Amino acid sequence: MKKSIAISLTALALLSLVPVTQAKDDRFGDVVKLIEQFYHVKHQGIPFLARAGLKTATTVARISGGPRRQIAEAGSVKVAFFDDQDFRSTSSYAGFKSSMNAVLTGWSPLIQVTSPKEEEQTYIYLREAGEKFNVMVVTIEPREACVVQVNLSPANLAKLMRNPDEMGNTITVDATTNDRE
Amino acid sequence: MKLLSRTLLKIASLKLAALAGLLVLGATATAMAQNPRIQTSQLDGLTAKASETVDVNIDESLMALTMKFLGNDDDEKKVKELVSGLKGIYVKSFEFESEGQYTEADLESIRSQLRNPAWSRIINARSKKDGSIEVYLMHTGSQISGLAVLATELKEITVINIVGPVDLEKLTQLEGEFGIPELGLGGTKPKRKN
Repeated sequence: MKKSIAISLTALALLSLVPVTQAKDDRFGDVVKLIEQFYHVKHQGIPFLARAGLKTATTVARISGGPRRQIAEAGSVKVAFFDDQDFRSTSSYAGFKSSMNAVLTGWSPLIQVTSPKEEEQTYIYLREAGEKFNVMVVTIEPREACVVQVNLSPANLAKLMRNPDEMGNTITVDATTNDRE
Repeated sequence: MKLLSRTLLKIASLKLAALAGLLVLGATATAMAQNPRIQTSQLDGLTAKASETVDVNIDESLMALTMKFLGNDDDEKKVKELVSGLKGIYVKSFEFESEGQYTEADLESIRSQLRNPAWSRIINARSKKDGSIEVYLMHTGSQISGLAVLATELKEITVINIVGPVDLEKLTQLEGEFGIPELGLGGTKPKRKN
């Protein structure tokens, strides 16, 4: 009896550790937090976007429901928007880039584009996740930003790899528009 | 007497340590000399002056993935053949708003690596109007193990580094793929951004 209680308690203790482990590996959350701290901005959650009546609200709500995307694996999409906020900080591109690299340790930086003239930045990082790949796309413009994380099949990733310049845009559009229903 | 033998022993062990150090240094230098991956981080300081910076890193695992998972239609088959055996494609480019934003010293950080005897320059074209393009190949034995391109214009620098068996013809066919810009090496005019 004592033994089974001990086993149950151990199992409970182990189960309680699971969310902690997941939280530690939540690089998506870490990247969102980094943007918030670096640019002194706040990302909008789904309820806020829904209240604002933005088209993206429907998009995000549907993403969480997991309709099949053309590129990303269904249900794998995570999106954070930063709408109508100030990202103009031309002197700190290098600082932001190195902070991103530090947060995404263990991820491979596939492409990094900075355009101080247009005040735009795009970063794509990859990480193997079993038979899939986690892909993180961060796009920052003067008044808005978007963080997208998706799971891609190796076949889709291989196709996108041929044109890395367009990859970020393709993934972001795939993850945030819903015109195929 | 004891003191003398102790001193001799000390000298001998110091000599051994120095020899070991030299051997390690030599091995490191050889490894570096034969590494077809060139370092471009020395150019990162130009990011602040550039109007656009692009940094593409497709490493060995991603190249293998591309090889394995690209489809079998004619176009993708052709690309698979091109990238077969490649271990990495790395591209770094800077565009500037005005002239004089980079110096020869900036380029020297790349050229000094390519001056290594393992690299041989196969193209060195310079024009006041169109800028310059230098193409280097690294040979390991009779095999080509890497390629490097340093292309400069008054307001632009591009460094391309391909690791693996690649030649000029392959490079020409890879233009426009995997972040490699159109260099015009195949006789076509390079694409210019507006």
